Amino acid sequence: MRADPHEFGRAAERLAVAYLQQRAYRIVAVNQRVGRGEIDIIARQAGVLAFIEVKARRTRTCGTPEDAVTPRKRHQIARLATLWLGSHPRSLVGVSDVRFDIIAVDALERPPRIRHLRAAFDGS
Amino acid sequence: MLARIESEALSGLDSHAVAVEADVVAAAPAFTIVGLPDAAVQESRERVRTAIVNSHYEFPSRRITVNLAPADVRKEGPSFDLPIALALLVATGQTRCRLADAAAIGELGLDGTIRSVAGVLAVAQSAYGRGLRALLVPAANAREAALVTGLRVLPAATLREAAALMAGAGGPAVECPDPETLLDVEAATDVDLSDVLGQGRVKRVLEVAVAGAHNLLMVGPPGSGKTMIARRVPSIMPPLSVAEAIDVTRIYSVAGMLPPDVSLVVRRPFRAPHHTISVAGLVGGGASPRAGEVSLAHLGVLFLDEFPEFRHSALEGLRQPLEDGEVTISRALTSLRFPARIMLVAAMNPCACGFRGDKTRACCCPAHRLAQYGQRLSGPLLDRIDLRIDVPRLTPRDRRSQVSGESSAVVRERVTRARARQRERLSGAGVSANAHLSARGLRELCRLESRAVAVLDRAYDELRLSARACDRVIKVAQTIADLEGSDTIQGGHVLESLSYREPPWSRR
Repeated sequence: MRADPHEFGRAAERLAVAYLQQRAYRIVAVNQRVGRGEIDIIARQAGVLAFIEVKARRTRTCGTPEDAVTPRKRHQIARLATLWLGSHPRSLVGVSDVRFDIIAVDALERPPRIRHLRAAFDGS
Repeated sequence: MLARIESEALSGLDSHAVAVEADVVAAAPAFTIVGLPDAAVQESRERVRTAIVNSHYEFPSRRITVNLAPADVRKEGPSFDLPIALALLVATGQTRCRLADAAAIGELGLDGTIRSVAGVLAVAQSAYGRGLRALLVPAANAREAALVTGLRVLPAATLREAAALMAGAGGPAVECPDPETLLDVEAATDVDLSDVLGQGRVKRVLEVAVAGAHNLLMVGPPGSGKTMIARRVPSIMPPLSVAEAIDVTRIYSVAGMLPPDVSLVVRRPFRAPHHTISVAGLVGGGASPRAGEVSLAHLGVLFLDEFPEFRHSALEGLRQPLEDGEVTISRALTSLRFPARIMLVAAMNPCACGFRGDKTRACCCPAHRLAQYGQRLSGPLLDRIDLRIDVPRLTPRDRRSQVSGESSAVVRERVTRARARQRERLSGAGVSANAHLSARGLRELCRLESRAVAVLDRAYDELRLSARACDRVIKVAQTIADLEGSDTIQGGHVLESLSYREPPWSRR
């Protein structure tokens, strides 16, 4: 598993999905392709619709996982979310808040630690 | 949901209506401000977001659009923080707007406190003028806003307080300070004309200058007391009227120079800018024009020490305000007017070394520099200065033997009477002081006795007076007559006036 970076990323996403399900989120979509981009997880809890970016790190060589969601990346996610909402108008029924979350999977040690940053950024 | 809060935006000394609209919808979250906001207004987003959270409200994770209408006028500064935050709270149903006809201004701190902003008096006047009846202001600005009678002032120290006031909670009413009593109690100045020893002739000229609102140039060696004398000019000017005090307060308020918790400027301004000042600093200007020193000295004294050392362009920039009593600053999109009815008091040394004509020290300037020194001042500018006076340096013996003379209050009394006489006589001409008389007003309103005409004619020939210089002599003579309570200008008045007119460097 260590050798394959893609497999590491997939594993982190599976961890994140399990984490969300434990906390009563309903998973709307995983690895949702929108145009040329991809939204890691779309999940729903009560009146909240969350677009979630998952980031994982095995070392600190490149900083924390949260640091990896750069302004450019945030902008891209916000744009993808708007596109997706446009093509899924029914997904907003009963929704009062829309959020952009980050789930950071810190695999410095075992088992990995998970941090969930709610409303980590917005599209402005 | 959509919410709308009224506010105000400053431009120059005036304020105009701005409506702050906030729309909050469930969509990909974003917080945008539209309506030509400048950088400080854009940064308002971060202050509003944090202040709302730290005031224990919920910041909506939805798409927020704030519009500042009208959208074609530039919005500047942090004073929209409060109305934006309130509009957001109303739009998200966290508070209600039960105040009718109300506007709000204020800057927010990250902890939700409301900071004072500039120009509250102008804002209050404009809001009241367009029919609003209540104004939410930062607590520190409350007394200033309360000067507008009829307007309900709601002071708030925090965002929570402001929200409660808007939801209809009654607060303690801000007492409207009675401007008359403020002026009565506080008008006394801390300097007095009697602080100046001797210099009887200079004090006389000062009295004439103030009585007729004439501009004054003092020439004297270093250490002769020019600055000390100039500082005491406001103390012999008649006290500000209520309307005048409000005008001055408005200028200081917009400039952000009103001390906290001061509601009214009650003293006549005294401004003494350094001679390195730029044109924009002196007459006003900048990309979003601000008042210059001439406007800050409105209805008071502008003291320019080392007069010939000022930049030529800055001094020439004074010509329009000296003539019109206001500054007009034109930009591509706007043209702004700042009042600048000042009394100019200028001071200079008689020569570059400073001791020309001194009793005890010899002047060491070479002849060509003597000739140059006074010529830095342009004729048109000097034409606007009615009175010139030598201020000699006192020897130690002089100082011991001199008495301090009259107090400012005594002189002010005479000046006030002379001003009253002028107002009565000049009411038809649309001016209030002799110095502002037009050439035509001069012919119609100044009555010279035959002896005065004779003196003037002789001076005209022998001193080779220009027509304009002649007018100045008559204006000053009129003021001297007013001080004396005389209805006509007599020969003696003209003679005294003539003694104050020579350009000092042309002498000896």
